[in-house]
Amino acid sequence: MWALLALVLSGALVAGRGDSGQQSDGQRAHGIATEIRCPTCRGLSAADSDAPAAQAIRDDILRRVQAGQTHGEIQGYLVSRYGTEILLRPERHGVASLVWVLPVAALLAAVAGMALAFRRWRSRPHAPVSAADQALVDEALRQ
Amino acid sequence: MNAALGTAGVALALSAAVLGIATLALGLRRGDPRLLAAGQRYVWLILGGAVLAVVAMEAAFIGHDFNLKYVADNGSRETPLLYTISGMWSALEGSILLWSLILAGYLTVMVRHFRARAVDPLVAWATLTGFAVAVFFFGLMAGPANPFKVIAGAVPVDGQGPNPLLQNHPLVAFHPPILYLGFVGFTIPFAFAIAALVTGRVGEGWLVETRRWTLFAWGFLTVGIVLGAWWSYEVLGWGGYWAWDPVENASFLPWLTGTAYIHSVMVQERRGMLRVWNLSLLVSTFALTILGTFLTRSGVLDSVHAFSESSIGPALLAFFALVVGVSIALIGWRGDRLRSPGAIDSPVSREGAFLANNVAFGAFAFVVLLGTVFPLIAEAINGDRLSVGAPYFDTMTAPVGFTLLFLMAVAPALPWRKASGELLHKRLMWPAWTATFVVVACVVAGLRGLAPLTAFGLGAFAAAAALRQLVLSAQAARRQGSPVWRGLVGRANGGMVVHIGVVVIAVAFAASHAYGHRHQYRLEPGQTAHLAGHSVTYLGTTTSHHANKTTLSARVRLDGGRVYEPALHQFPNASQAIGSPSVRVGVVDDVYLTLVAAPDGDQAAAVVGVNIQPLIAWLWIGGGLMGFGTVLAAWPGRRRRPTEPSSAPAVPKLEQPETPVVDETPVAVGPHG
Repeated sequence: MWALLALVLSGALVAGRGDSGQQSDGQRAHGIATEIRCPTCRGLSAADSDAPAAQAIRDDILRRVQAGQTHGEIQGYLVSRYGTEILLRPERHGVASLVWVLPVAALLAAVAGMALAFRRWRSRPHAPVSAADQALVDEALRQ
Repeated sequence: MNAALGTAGVALALSAAVLGIATLALGLRRGDPRLLAAGQRYVWLILGGAVLAVVAMEAAFIGHDFNLKYVADNGSRETPLLYTISGMWSALEGSILLWSLILAGYLTVMVRHFRARAVDPLVAWATLTGFAVAVFFFGLMAGPANPFKVIAGAVPVDGQGPNPLLQNHPLVAFHPPILYLGFVGFTIPFAFAIAALVTGRVGEGWLVETRRWTLFAWGFLTVGIVLGAWWSYEVLGWGGYWAWDPVENASFLPWLTGTAYIHSVMVQERRGMLRVWNLSLLVSTFALTILGTFLTRSGVLDSVHAFSESSIGPALLAFFALVVGVSIALIGWRGDRLRSPGAIDSPVSREGAFLANNVAFGAFAFVVLLGTVFPLIAEAINGDRLSVGAPYFDTMTAPVGFTLLFLMAVAPALPWRKASGELLHKRLMWPAWTATFVVVACVVAGLRGLAPLTAFGLGAFAAAAALRQLVLSAQAARRQGSPVWRGLVGRANGGMVVHIGVVVIAVAFAASHAYGHRHQYRLEPGQTAHLAGHSVTYLGTTTSHHANKTTLSARVRLDGGRVYEPALHQFPNASQAIGSPSVRVGVVDDVYLTLVAAPDGDQAAAVVGVNIQPLIAWLWIGGGLMGFGTVLAAWPGRRRRPTEPSSAPAVPKLEQPETPVVDETPVAVGPHG
């Protein structure tokens, strides 16, 4: 029963995992813009903001996508122009990498701690049952 | 007049809190019941002072008393009455005043509720702790955040009015007070936790005493956060509702630790374990409300919701450090009493699931906290300026969210101590098939994308598991001759309703993230644009003049039907025009229209933003369900006959004469089902 369920479920997920086909230039540009900060707003991405500066960045990204530049090249250009602050997704090297590594390390530590705790709990001998306790339980069960 | 009354109110409350602490301390030292009772009566003076100050402030706002600097900055003669009243909490000093009023209210209800036990050292210490928190907040108003500062020089004829964003939507009158009812509410369980540590009565008594208080605070925090998201959606005009903005994160952090607490506390009530952990979670929750206030009110972080900056940062940071320091010291001091002999036998058990829940919520809170403060950390390390935005939070929290949905599905089916495979097979079979059916149906309907499909599947799994519990519980109630609704109240059942609310929000969140469409169109009058099956026709603009603003509305016909009017408002005290969206709310999707750029003339083109997102309305419905479920969970359960085996108290009766009944779900699983 469970095997059938797993089969149906994974089949459905594979069928529905999304189009891996070619993205249009507009879709690619939008994807890049969602990770670029709108320089004149607070925390909104260039894709989400109606501000003129965000519109300018969107147009710029679309032009560069149409000119055949890669994601990395466009990001590199924007960083050279506005600084690393423009990236809403911190980079994976340098100091910024800490923001990615620390949570994973903390999670691993927590899971390891839990595993240790379970081992300790398991190895702890159960309290011995005295005859009086046993009698009490038997009494309660009879009622 | 108002300034004098308000200052007097703050001074009264502050001195009453100080005197109350002194009286309680003396009473505790001497063991004098009269002093203890007298000390707690000071709460009425604190409440009186707070009410006097708030009344003076509101009188100043409504009477346009621009003598007061705060009123001159945040009120004006043109502001409508609703926003004049809510003007009180539209900047920092007044927000502290609102916080203090709510704190005074909570403390008064607490003292009244426990009046029969006024001489109990636990209650006395809890009151003392609550008064100490009150001293801090009223002290802020007596010092660096004085809302009753009088203007130097000539009194202005008119005031500035509130920030334009804060006089644009009626939710601004409800969201802050409800959110604060949540934040401040955690003071009461925190006070009892400190009292339990000081008196050494670290058993389960104080947990049970504060169970409903915690739920109450948690429920308000939940509803407050959802209302905040709704406000963002209706006012900020970018079409989203959650931007992982520092202020949003600051309210979300105590929610995360508080949610972890209300789950893991059940392990302690049931098994007497995890005492240190639960104390830490509760202290963290309270401390995070203070830290959040610091992060967002001191100007160290930039936010769309930060409507004020001030010099109270150091005071808040010092108070945060004091709370954390004292709590750690107390927990360390009571370490020997906090150890518990119990053991969790198997990870596949209710206890195990609660532990996993706590790891997940802990990880969630860690990611949100780290991401929020990381720009500060990076700048401190090597001067790098960087941003941590939505892409980071979405990437890091999605796996945690999926884990939590999975746990919500499995945990209610797990018995305490140890689960057998056969039992799980029986209980999880139909929820799992429901999930599979939902995923298959979504794929057949043409929905694509691994993340949303996973969210829908796990959501269906969790919702089916919660429904199964509710149905069993209602059937059990019926068999016992109780009305069916009896099967829906109590902690476990109310909790399941909350779970369904969470699922609704998770599904709406995933859908709106994955399947939204947005575009801007430059349209001349009469021109039509098409997006995702909807048509948008721009008709023209209308200008209207109001007392407090001039409004330019675009008339936009949607799908050939009703005309919507997204607008730009020009407020006299703001240089930029403030946009306000016009939204067609629907069960399936919302169409969100904004006027991005006004036309140059009657026949010129306007830029209209169209943002179509599915299931948005379900976010607010889910929030309402969570609030409703919280009420059900706090509803007094059926008193269990003391002869039933499962009604043995978690702690000796002596310690808690007023123990409320711990209501277990009467599902048909136990021997007494």
